[in-house]
Amino acid sequence: MNNTKHMERLARIEEVLLIANKKIDIDELRASCSYGVPEQLRPIVWRLLLNYLPLERQKWKAHLAEQRENYNILIEQIIVEPGTQAMNQSINDHPLSDAPSSDWQAFFQDNKVLTQIDKDVRRLYPEIQFFQLLSKFPHLHGMKYPLSKRVVGEELNSQEFGTTRDGVIGVTKDSRSNSTDASAVMKSEFHWHIVERILFIYAKLNPGVQYVQGMNELVAPIYYVFASDSDEEWAEFAEADTFFCFQQLMSEVKDNFIKTLDNSICGIESLMSSFHTLINHFDEEVYKHLSTNLEIKPQFYAFRWLSLLLSQEFPLPDVITLWDSLFSDSKRFSLLPYVCLSMIELQREELLAGDFSFCVRLLQNYPFADIAKIVAFAQDIKDGIAPRRCSKDLSKSSKIVRHARQLSDTLKNLSIIKK
Amino acid sequence: MARRPYDMLFKLLLIGDSGVGKTCILYRFSDDAFNTTFISTIGIDFKIKTIELKGKKIKLQIWDTAGQERFHTITTSYYRGAMGIMLVYDITNAKSFDNIAKWLRNIDEHASEDVVKMLLGNKCDMADRRVVSRERGEKIAQDHQIKFHETSAKLNVHVDTAFYDLAEAILAKMPESSDEHKNETVVPGQGQRQTGNGGCC
Repeated sequence: MNNTKHMERLARIEEVLLIANKKIDIDELRASCSYGVPEQLRPIVWRLLLNYLPLERQKWKAHLAEQRENYNILIEQIIVEPGTQAMNQSINDHPLSDAPSSDWQAFFQDNKVLTQIDKDVRRLYPEIQFFQLLSKFPHLHGMKYPLSKRVVGEELNSQEFGTTRDGVIGVTKDSRSNSTDASAVMKSEFHWHIVERILFIYAKLNPGVQYVQGMNELVAPIYYVFASDSDEEWAEFAEADTFFCFQQLMSEVKDNFIKTLDNSICGIESLMSSFHTLINHFDEEVYKHLSTNLEIKPQFYAFRWLSLLLSQEFPLPDVITLWDSLFSDSKRFSLLPYVCLSMIELQREELLAGDFSFCVRLLQNYPFADIAKIVAFAQDIKDGIAPRRCSKDLSKSSKIVRHARQLSDTLKNLSIIKK
Repeated sequence: MARRPYDMLFKLLLIGDSGVGKTCILYRFSDDAFNTTFISTIGIDFKIKTIELKGKKIKLQIWDTAGQERFHTITTSYYRGAMGIMLVYDITNAKSFDNIAKWLRNIDEHASEDVVKMLLGNKCDMADRRVVSRERGEKIAQDHQIKFHETSAKLNVHVDTAFYDLAEAILAKMPESSDEHKNETVVPGQGQRQTGNGGCC
């Protein structure tokens, strides 16, 4: 990335955030953040972009205090009280009671959701250690009612490995069996415990959505950004602030997670089909190759790309940089399909030369890439700066790649024959 | 003449409740490795492995699906093209076994009639946490006339066996058109696969 340009952008963001500005110019903030936000400013910028912090600075203090207290109340109502009731079970209300009003029934119903959340938060970003580490700022009351203990029977008890999406890097600690015990001794809790609480409270407050796999991938980057804030006054409230920001984010994307909306105009199917149309419009040749020749449906890869805002496609630092741009989008998330298209375009020669397996594998395991380049090209396509692919010219260049490939295959075969 | 890297292509599908170990089974088979911290599968994932069976190179195109109910509309659209379906439950999770009937109904509804089915009880290394007996697994498999194995992706028990068995059953169902070709290439004793015996399950 161009360094002077980067410095200019940094100065521009800082200017927007100046304390002297009574009201933050959100349009200016969006414009200056669309290519990335410096790390030290990101926690505040994301809170602003996700409409959690008011634009008037003087309102921040009171607003944050109120919201954080609201979150404490939610923990009391949703986690502490049912937890206490479960512990002090009355004679009339026991686990085998059939009474529809049974608190136990509600408790067990919740545990179903919790079991799913628990499975997923334990496997959050296994390639980095962060979520398996103890938090410096546990929720002192909430941690006394660890949700993971409620579903402990469902737990796996096996050795953990640090992994990437594709393979094993190395053995880490045996966190499944030991982490809960260790946290009790350490008087703290792990970061994944906190994420679990956030997701559970969200599920309880939003019975229409509850918890769907993948939501863990949406909350994790936000929590990571807030909890690793070098300013501890902010980091201390990472949990509460993440909850409200996640709620804001979900209010914009939750339709993708609701099965009954799948085939509606606001559901994921329609999002995928408009993405498909976008590919066709910009690059007919790629579209024909993928869609007509190879019959690769957008469901094979774009379902995950679009519904999870690409959070599973790149390493966490890259996801965060990408989200700077996605969150800066004034009409969220209109940039997202262009980013997906940009990803395809940057691999187009490979894709055009590939067969079904090759292409699906490439799209499902997107290679390491320069996120800045992907975003820049996406913006260019969106702004109409990048010219549409003219199939004539490009078929020429892709033909060259195909010829090169054939040639290398022939050479390989020759060397086999020689042996 | 162009050389084909394989003789046949089989499309397989892995289904079952979330967390039963579908991705781990597939990873064990395709990469011969194991890890417990796979991120949850969202939508559908995909792996390729070429095996040799009865002197034929068979390319297995294996689709791994998300287990959670929400994804069923997306995943059931792949049932149609599948030639083999592995239905996985977790022997330490009763619920995942109870749901077998539901999954079988799904197959009946969405898969082609002659699809080869197989039931797998995974995590059979975790004897101390077992809640579904081997007999119950065998019984339900028998009732539905499908093949059954208990597997452990972690200890690599019967994972290969299961995939080879499934591929073999699909091969056996293939039209006999390739018989003449078979006569030319198959040497007695060749293509015989060693079957794992016993194991911990």
